[in-house]
Amino acid sequence: MNRHRAARLARQLAIYLLIALVLAFFLMPIVWLFQTSLKPSRDAFAIPPMWWFSPTWANFERMFATTRVVEYLRNSLIIASGTTALSVALGLLAGYGLARHPSRTSDGLALAMLAVRMAPPVAMLIPFYLMMRDLGLLGSYPAVILLQSVLNTAFVTWLMRGYFLTLPKDMEESALIDGCNRFQAFLYVALPMAGPGVATGAIFAFTLSWNDFLLPLILSGRRTRPLTLGILEAFSSVEIAWSAIAAMSVVTVLPVVLIGLLLQRYLIRGLTLGAIRG
Amino acid sequence: MMRRTVRWWTRAGRVGSLIWVAPALLFMLAFAIYPVGYSLYISLFDYHLIDPTREQVFVGLANYVRAFGDQVFLVAIRNTLLFVVMAIGTQMLLGLGIAVLLNRELRGIGIIRSLLLVPLTLTPLVVALVWGALYNADFGAVSYYLKLLGLDIGRGPVGEPRTALASLVVIDIWQWTPLVALMLLAGLQAQNQELFEAARLDGANGVQQFLHIALPLLRPILIVALLIRTMDVFKLFDSVYAITGGGPGSATEVMNFYIFKTGLTFFDMGYAASMSTLLLVLISFFTAIYIRVIGRTEAYG
Repeated sequence: MNRHRAARLARQLAIYLLIALVLAFFLMPIVWLFQTSLKPSRDAFAIPPMWWFSPTWANFERMFATTRVVEYLRNSLIIASGTTALSVALGLLAGYGLARHPSRTSDGLALAMLAVRMAPPVAMLIPFYLMMRDLGLLGSYPAVILLQSVLNTAFVTWLMRGYFLTLPKDMEESALIDGCNRFQAFLYVALPMAGPGVATGAIFAFTLSWNDFLLPLILSGRRTRPLTLGILEAFSSVEIAWSAIAAMSVVTVLPVVLIGLLLQRYLIRGLTLGAIRG
Repeated sequence: MMRRTVRWWTRAGRVGSLIWVAPALLFMLAFAIYPVGYSLYISLFDYHLIDPTREQVFVGLANYVRAFGDQVFLVAIRNTLLFVVMAIGTQMLLGLGIAVLLNRELRGIGIIRSLLLVPLTLTPLVVALVWGALYNADFGAVSYYLKLLGLDIGRGPVGEPRTALASLVVIDIWQWTPLVALMLLAGLQAQNQELFEAARLDGANGVQQFLHIALPLLRPILIVALLIRTMDVFKLFDSVYAITGGGPGSATEVMNFYIFKTGLTFFDMGYAASMSTLLLVLISFFTAIYIRVIGRTEAYG
């Protein structure tokens, strides 16, 4: 009996040890980043690495003094909000239609959307650049917003389709019998129930846009650059130290990390692309 | 009038979905389908943006012929495929392992899950810069600890042609294994426990239960995870751009980065467009396979 318990204890211990190992690997770079942003800059690259030190806000002060971080932050917010609004609006309607009108055409359209989601943006980079140049939009917010939205709309459509498939349609049907038209049934009956689905779509659209740097790299201009490009600019400048870049990186990742943690219920639902109902 | 509208909407199911999808569809026609067509068109020209006096000359398929004779492009294809196989293989296996590890009565499982969620929300560019610093041969923590373990990689993990591509794969594994793990964990936890109870009564051990019940039930989610990861690994760009620039030599030259460089650094638009076509063809090949598999899975259940 005692031996049995000892074996169980050892097993339990081994499991926790393995989990600790897994967490150490996945958290180490994040801990390093946050630490570096709070370290005196002379200790940032001390060898051996310093894991204990006296924290300071100096790097954040230097960041505000030497970079245009506030402007970048504003641009990131404008671009990510625009992309979220546009892709959720389009994806919501499309996903609803595909879920409520099952047919061969609908299935084909859904798969076509998936194909757009699969296409790497680089493959469309050359025409994107030329189109935006011809439209005179190079360097503007809409250039980035429009093209990020193309890639996100496909994803949100797929997500919303999956979500509406899980919602019963009895209520909309009775609304139709009561004299609503299809659009009214959507607006007054389906939409109010779609909150969690919309939240999932919005989180994804916002995060993907916020984290993107390829499209802003070729399409945004000096006045419309988001944080990701700001970091890169600071990185290639000789005057700005790594500690200030670490501070800027923290400013960049903090919003999306917080959104992810606070709304993780929705995030996990979206991760499975609706593969798990619930 | 109202009545007839309702009937028209309900009866014409096919038209019905089209009307809802129309805004998104038109948007995509304008900004996804048209660009691909435009790109196909440009790929037939010698189109240099940098020199306005130079004519755009129709060259037929010459750009494509050039691509297949371009050693760097061929290396880029090889590296891309190598990266995809290494990254996806490891992520799926490691992700499954972690999901199984966490799929039990554990204290603090909520916190563990939240912590695992953090890497995949991080900005990939920041992740690349952080790993770039950690890999630095002189003052990077990873290089330092590798040296302590007796592994001295001369110019650092990303500085040596032997290890550079694999080092970028490690970054991808670091950021995206948690995604696979969390997806599969959600799948495992949604499984009906009565099946396992019954199997236990029939004398099946843990491994048998996993192989014959859990794994087959997990199949649809495994496929979705594989699909999502494949799509995204093919988009690999940020870490190459921020850390290696395709080097050393062309050890980390991948298709996306080479196309970007050709088109938007050297403004050799026609050639870049032709390579974009080839990239799309390659991805369509994978897409076709997956879509067939997904169609079959949906038919199952």
